[in-house]
Amino acid sequence: MTKQSPDMHTETTDKAASITDGLQTVSYTANSQGKLEQVKGPGWQPTGDVNRQAWQEIEKQIEQARNRVAAGRASCLYYYMVANQMSILLLARYSRQSPLLVLMHLIPFFFARLSETRLERYAALFQVTPEDLARGDLRPAVYFSSLRHD
Amino acid sequence: MTEALRIDFRHRQSAHCESGVTANLLNHRDIDISEAMAFGIGAGLFFGYFPFIRINRLPLVTYRAAAGGLLKRFSRLPGFNLTRRTFSSAGEAMAELDATLARNIPVGLQTGVFWLPYFPKALRFHFNAHNLVVYGKQGNDYLISDPVFPEPVLCPASDLARARFASGALAPRGKMYYFDQVDRDFDRERAIIEGIGSVCTMMLKSMFPLIGVKGIRFLAGRLGRWPERLGHDRAALHLGHVVRMQEEIGTGGGGFRFIYAAFLQESGLLLGDQSLRTCASTLQAAGDRWREFAAMAARICKQRPKPGDTYEAAADHIRQCAAIEMQTFNSLQDWSRGKR
Repeated sequence: MTKQSPDMHTETTDKAASITDGLQTVSYTANSQGKLEQVKGPGWQPTGDVNRQAWQEIEKQIEQARNRVAAGRASCLYYYMVANQMSILLLARYSRQSPLLVLMHLIPFFFARLSETRLERYAALFQVTPEDLARGDLRPAVYFSSLRHD
Repeated sequence: MTEALRIDFRHRQSAHCESGVTANLLNHRDIDISEAMAFGIGAGLFFGYFPFIRINRLPLVTYRAAAGGLLKRFSRLPGFNLTRRTFSSAGEAMAELDATLARNIPVGLQTGVFWLPYFPKALRFHFNAHNLVVYGKQGNDYLISDPVFPEPVLCPASDLARARFASGALAPRGKMYYFDQVDRDFDRERAIIEGIGSVCTMMLKSMFPLIGVKGIRFLAGRLGRWPERLGHDRAALHLGHVVRMQEEIGTGGGGFRFIYAAFLQESGLLLGDQSLRTCASTLQAAGDRWREFAAMAARICKQRPKPGDTYEAAADHIRQCAAIEMQTFNSLQDWSRGKR
């Protein structure tokens, strides 16, 4: 943990650090002679606060997606799309097909009739197996599989 | 395991990815340049509020110039040449990366951050204009100098290929670049004057009310009315989004105002010019005011406001930023015109 300071520029907290896995980032802060210098730290607390707010919103959307899938109103593809912060348009670009097709695949009736090739394409994108998709398993989003090599 | 390749490249952490990559690539070519100086010469500072462009259903607010603009300005300096390539297939793009590394050239890449596994989860958004330098390969992993990280990182080839071909806004299409020609004794004074002149034009002379100082005032006008127009929840999300764009990793704090002030300070020293140092102080004051706004906004978003924390008060802070920036950039414009 870096040194705490009452100065607005360097005010940091454990909470701000926790959301970015303790990543030490650089910001510019004036030293005692007024010269702006690079200072490393775990981030400014208000930034951590608003970042957490954004993630709470994403988690809320993921929870709603889970509920829609559980209620049978959407296919598991809908969950994977929301969990990976994609829109229909972005998913269409990634899976190289028309947004209209993606929209159809979000409906359980059409999703259950998807070809193996298309399932494989979606599975590769979301880093799960085609069987996971076929069974309707809701695996964590891509960013949970993060590795740290330092 | 194939043999390891490691180019002798000095990794220096920086606040902003594009200025960091530019400075590190130039340092590799024996041009001693700081990140702040690269940001200033590359005219990285900007302001734009574009409510008709949406990111995750929230309006685009930017405190920096368009992605790639900084490198482009450097490539146009006399004596400099930047080789840039985009690709239609990942296989071709990765093969070209390997071939360039084999020639002992560190390679700059534009990537999406969502697919980079070494990024903390909280920062993995679909943002496609991140810059990094690849300078080696160990087996199937690339050795990467990512300027916003304290140390070099390793990234598996498959993830890097995915990040290079991220889709969506600002899709990188495998973009890679490196300086194949540089002028070690380039005219820094001219480059500084032109960089400052360009930023002043964008901040003061734009025809569009959404850009520069006018844009800051426009944002203030809109922001003050968000609670009535959007309702409490959506307004808080909009407000938090503005703060994230201003203070998130890569900005150096205060919506890039502190890094630009550092550039003005350094230029003032280099050119022995007191007026630049005075402008640095006023821009730093603008950065402080942006931070006061951010701190108030974060309290509102957290639903823990202090007395006097309102959207209207937050908008007033932004108006004060606009006033200080107007004064600073007018002085800088007079200065740069006097030097031309």
